[in-house]
Amino acid sequence: MVRPYAVKGKKRRKREDKYDRVEEAEEAKEAKEAEEAEEASEPEETEASQPEDVNKGAMVEKHRNGNEGEEKVGNPIELEGIPIIPVELSTKNGPGAIFILERASLEVAKVGKTYQLLNSDDHSNFLRKNNRDPALYRPDIVHQALLMVLDSPINKAGKLRNVYVRTAAGVLIEIKPHVRIPRTFKRFCGVMLQLLQKLSISAVGKREKLMRVIKNPVTQYLPVNSRKIGFSYSSEKLVNIQNYVAAAENNRDFVFVVGAMAHGKVETDYTDDFISISGYPLSAAFCISMICQALAGKWDIL
Amino acid sequence: MAKHKDKKNMKSGPNAVAMKHQAPKPNPFAAKAPNPSRADTKNNKETTTTKKKKNKLGPSSIAMKLQAPKPNPFETIWSRRKFDILGKKRKGEERRIGLSRSRAIEKRKNTLLKEYEQSNKSSVFVDKRIGEHNDELDEFDKAIRRSQRERLSKQNKKSKYNLSDGEEEDYEFQSLGALSERDDFEDDMLPDDDEDGAGTAKTKKRLATLDQFESHDKQNLQDDGPMRGEENRHKSKKEVMKELMAKSKYHRAERAKHKEELEDFGQELDKIFTSMAQSKLLELAEPDKSVPNEKKDELSGQEVARSYFKALGTLALERRGQPSDRTKTPEEIAQEEREQLEHLEEERQKRMLATDDYSDDQNEDDEIPSSQRPRAISGDDLGDSFSLDEEPRIKKGWVDEILEKKDASDSESEEGGSSEDSESPEDGSDEGSDEDDNEGEKNLLMKDWEQSDDDNIGTDLDEEEEEEEDDDDDESEGHENDDDVNEKEMEPRELKRLKKNDAADASKKQGKVSQDGKRPSTQSDLPYLIEAPKSLEELSALADNLSNSDIVVIINRIRKSNAIKLAAENRKKMQVFYGVLLQYFAILANQKPLNIELLNFLVKPLIEMSMETPYFAAICARQRILRARTEFCATVKNPENSCWPSSKTLFLLRLWSLIFSCSDFRHVVMTPATVLMCEYLVRSPIVSGRDAAVGSFLCSMLLCITKQSRKFCPEAVMFLRTLLMAAKDRKPATNQDSQFYELMELKALRPLLCIRECVDQIDPLNFLTLMDLPEDDSFFSSNNFRASVLLTVIETLRGFVSIYEAFSSFPEFFLPISILLVEVAEQDNMPQVLTDKFQDVAQLIKTKADEHHILRQPLQMRKQKPVAIKMLNPKFEENFVKGIDYDPDRERAERRKLKKVLKQEAKGAIRELRKDNSFLYEVKAREKVLMEEEKAEKYGKVRLFLQEQEHAMKSGQLGKGRKRRR
Repeated sequence: MVRPYAVKGKKRRKREDKYDRVEEAEEAKEAKEAEEAEEASEPEETEASQPEDVNKGAMVEKHRNGNEGEEKVGNPIELEGIPIIPVELSTKNGPGAIFILERASLEVAKVGKTYQLLNSDDHSNFLRKNNRDPALYRPDIVHQALLMVLDSPINKAGKLRNVYVRTAAGVLIEIKPHVRIPRTFKRFCGVMLQLLQKLSISAVGKREKLMRVIKNPVTQYLPVNSRKIGFSYSSEKLVNIQNYVAAAENNRDFVFVVGAMAHGKVETDYTDDFISISGYPLSAAFCISMICQALAGKWDIL
Repeated sequence: MAKHKDKKNMKSGPNAVAMKHQAPKPNPFAAKAPNPSRADTKNNKETTTTKKKKNKLGPSSIAMKLQAPKPNPFETIWSRRKFDILGKKRKGEERRIGLSRSRAIEKRKNTLLKEYEQSNKSSVFVDKRIGEHNDELDEFDKAIRRSQRERLSKQNKKSKYNLSDGEEEDYEFQSLGALSERDDFEDDMLPDDDEDGAGTAKTKKRLATLDQFESHDKQNLQDDGPMRGEENRHKSKKEVMKELMAKSKYHRAERAKHKEELEDFGQELDKIFTSMAQSKLLELAEPDKSVPNEKKDELSGQEVARSYFKALGTLALERRGQPSDRTKTPEEIAQEEREQLEHLEEERQKRMLATDDYSDDQNEDDEIPSSQRPRAISGDDLGDSFSLDEEPRIKKGWVDEILEKKDASDSESEEGGSSEDSESPEDGSDEGSDEDDNEGEKNLLMKDWEQSDDDNIGTDLDEEEEEEEDDDDDESEGHENDDDVNEKEMEPRELKRLKKNDAADASKKQGKVSQDGKRPSTQSDLPYLIEAPKSLEELSALADNLSNSDIVVIINRIRKSNAIKLAAENRKKMQVFYGVLLQYFAILANQKPLNIELLNFLVKPLIEMSMETPYFAAICARQRILRARTEFCATVKNPENSCWPSSKTLFLLRLWSLIFSCSDFRHVVMTPATVLMCEYLVRSPIVSGRDAAVGSFLCSMLLCITKQSRKFCPEAVMFLRTLLMAAKDRKPATNQDSQFYELMELKALRPLLCIRECVDQIDPLNFLTLMDLPEDDSFFSSNNFRASVLLTVIETLRGFVSIYEAFSSFPEFFLPISILLVEVAEQDNMPQVLTDKFQDVAQLIKTKADEHHILRQPLQMRKQKPVAIKMLNPKFEENFVKGIDYDPDRERAERRKLKKVLKQEAKGAIRELRKDNSFLYEVKAREKVLMEEEKAEKYGKVRLFLQEQEHAMKSGQLGKGRKRRR
């Protein structure tokens, strides 16, 4: 009995991680079948443990590199003998956070001869001609919000699992936590434009896909038993986010649903809780930064 | 509904009844030629939307409905776009998937099915009726064509050679035009084909030509191919001609334009030239010529040209820069000096023979060198500015005279001038004295210009003043040049203090020296050309009984007459001479009454010579350091002897610190010299006050050496601390410095510097006089001496503090000293000046130490910075356009594109094949079913027949048929 797809599947798994759960499940099934068919193949555990070992090795190496760097940069007086406080490795394990930006206004249109991401500054005339309200086209909100999320210490510490952006048109975008979002708005527009047309953005020099358009609904990607919290100024439940986050159970993942639109309110059916964290209407970026700070406080990330 | 109507419209074509009901607007279908139903689907598409509205308006729906065929409900399904992109034209939405499918099925029926049906047939029926395959023609047109064809074939065959008898023929020929020949040709060649009526390609062509005659407007793509080709050829010929003409015209125009431009340019140049002639040439050439030229310029072009060439000639002939005198090489300069000396020597010899001409000669002497002087001090003169050989002689003579005068007049007033000369043996005033010489020479130069040598005595006073001024200047310059300001401040003070005590002695001594020098100083007696002495004896023989200045003159002359640049073997001589001179210097330094002036004078040639032979100088110095060290090691074993360095060693050390670079991190001479000095400081016990003085001198020298390099010299600081301890009366009880006190015991320290009584005045020490004093002099135990040593110590300490203030171990090193300082300052009998200074330095140390303490941080665990996750930049294009491959490798992109096309095509083909197969399968299945049915029917029939027969037989009747028939 030959296994037609086993080799291919393995290779793929090493190369890049899978995105679609469905695909993954299929692959897993395939792999299982293949393994059942072939007795000689190595057991699953060793396979699983190998990458871990590699990771550890990498960590150790990083430690060493870090020390060297410090010694080079820092005081030359620093002695060899002084011990280094070990860094806790637990940051990457344990519960994490997922952010969902709802109703983001990312829309591509053909303006003139080129395709552009619509924004209220540059395309107000175009939008008016097409009977749209320019005030609703605000991709800069998404930009700021993404910068806030991905630059936060909780992301640097590896606690951010994923960011999902759902546009007003219903397109669901998955953004990996290790993306470095372009700092300027223009470049951000370029990325989003390409993403919405090509449906995926890969990393520079790598084949890994950093952003991609995925299938709705978003709930299929959220971890089971996660705590889904929606945010809105209109909510009656006004809480202090620090206390709220601190009071939450420690072993559950957080899912924060924040609206990235200029006007209106987030309406989702999958949220467990619907709160407001300030008596004032907040911008999406600041709301996210508040959440991130609260999380950093909870997880002792400085 | 609307679509049904369209279809109906199309099929019914020019159905007048249906059209009448429509809007009064002209229907495009009505106006157009009648169309066959299937051919014009494209038109149909384009106009669907417009027709929808029109048809809705029309009230004649009932009549049409009856005629309309039953629509396929699947054909009404339209394709839908998923995302609505603003601003994009909706192109894809006109597609109806069901419709296209049914169309494809129809097409298969026409093609594949036909082929399938033909596949088992051995012969094929081909329909070659005229116009049958042309979809655009309707039946009527076809009929017309057929009749035309019939007529034509008849005509061609039979009435070819008949005369034309009607208008029709004319018309035909006219319209044929150029094609008539071809027709003839064809007819000639292929008559049989026509007869047969078989459809060959040529007949088709011919038909096509006919078609054109008939319907001028309608031209089939397929048919009018050859015609167009001909037209193209014709046109191209014309075009070629036109192009040729246009080109020639264009070139002609270009040439004209070019010519015009050239002319313009020439005119412009002329203009520029005239303006130039106005402005510059006027200045360069004679104004008389150029001005009339200008006027003529305006008159005629020839004149312009002539004037231009004239100007050109004058400019070409004009003088350029003149060659100046070549700069002289150092060798040449040395040669000149030597020659000058030779000349002087000759004259001296002459004078020795005939003394009568003395005065005249002298005048001449002075004049000749004065004429040569400017060259000697020219800017090309590199290092050897001391090349002015005879000036020092004269100048020194003056100095001697001045000194004499001063001695004679009074000893007090001369302090300012001469003391400064004498008091600076160690520090930078060597350079000062050099400058002295130079400036003195310059002054003299000036004087020489003004008056002859004879009035020297008269101008002495003036010059004295000038010299004093120069000295002052020199001092200030020295301050600027030398970094060791501290030392400068210190040592003069030290010296001045001594001067108070020994002013009289010093002045007397100087007077003596000068008088001694004066005795044989008839300067012209000195030979001008002197061979370099090879041993000390020779040199001392030369220098014996000569004044200091004369010795310097002799040394200078030796150097000049044996300059290294003159000859290669001179290097050897000069090296020997250098060694001898160094030895001479050392001996002089060791003499008990120090001839400090001569020492000073010797420093300059020594420095210069070691510049010339640096390697040899370094070797000499190292050898001497080595010897001093071995000597020191020997003496230190014997505790009775004082093992502090002799004045010779001190002077040599000082000399080397001047000669060699002190700021080098590692130097062949200075490093061992420093180490030696430190060793002296550490290992020698302090027994007497003289030891303390020598030690403090070494410390100040170390300070001077380490000032720039900031090398750490713990020995010097320790020694200073020891001296401070010695200034204290009582032994301290604190045991925190126990280590230090052990060290003190090694030094066998007594309270040597403890001031017992009040000291009213503190003078700086004069180290030279100290060195001259015997070891057990009472001065060393006087309170005055102690105070001044303390003063020196505190100043040196201050210097060290300022040097080492940046070291991070500064507080540890200097804080105990500051405590000690405070303690010493609080002692009884301490003069106020010293107390102030002590406290000042203590305060300074304290503030600096505090700064260091503030900057210090406690020992901490090293913290590892948390490692952030690695961020990746997204790859995207600035102006992304969908469908463009942004692969930088073009070849790969191209390949990918082709692959994509290939894949697409392959998929399309597979799909087609699959559909064909399923279509064929359906057809076959249908046939099969039909056959089965037929079979079953036949079988049933036969069976029925048999059954009937059997029935009839069994029943005895003849059969059913009979009944039927009935």
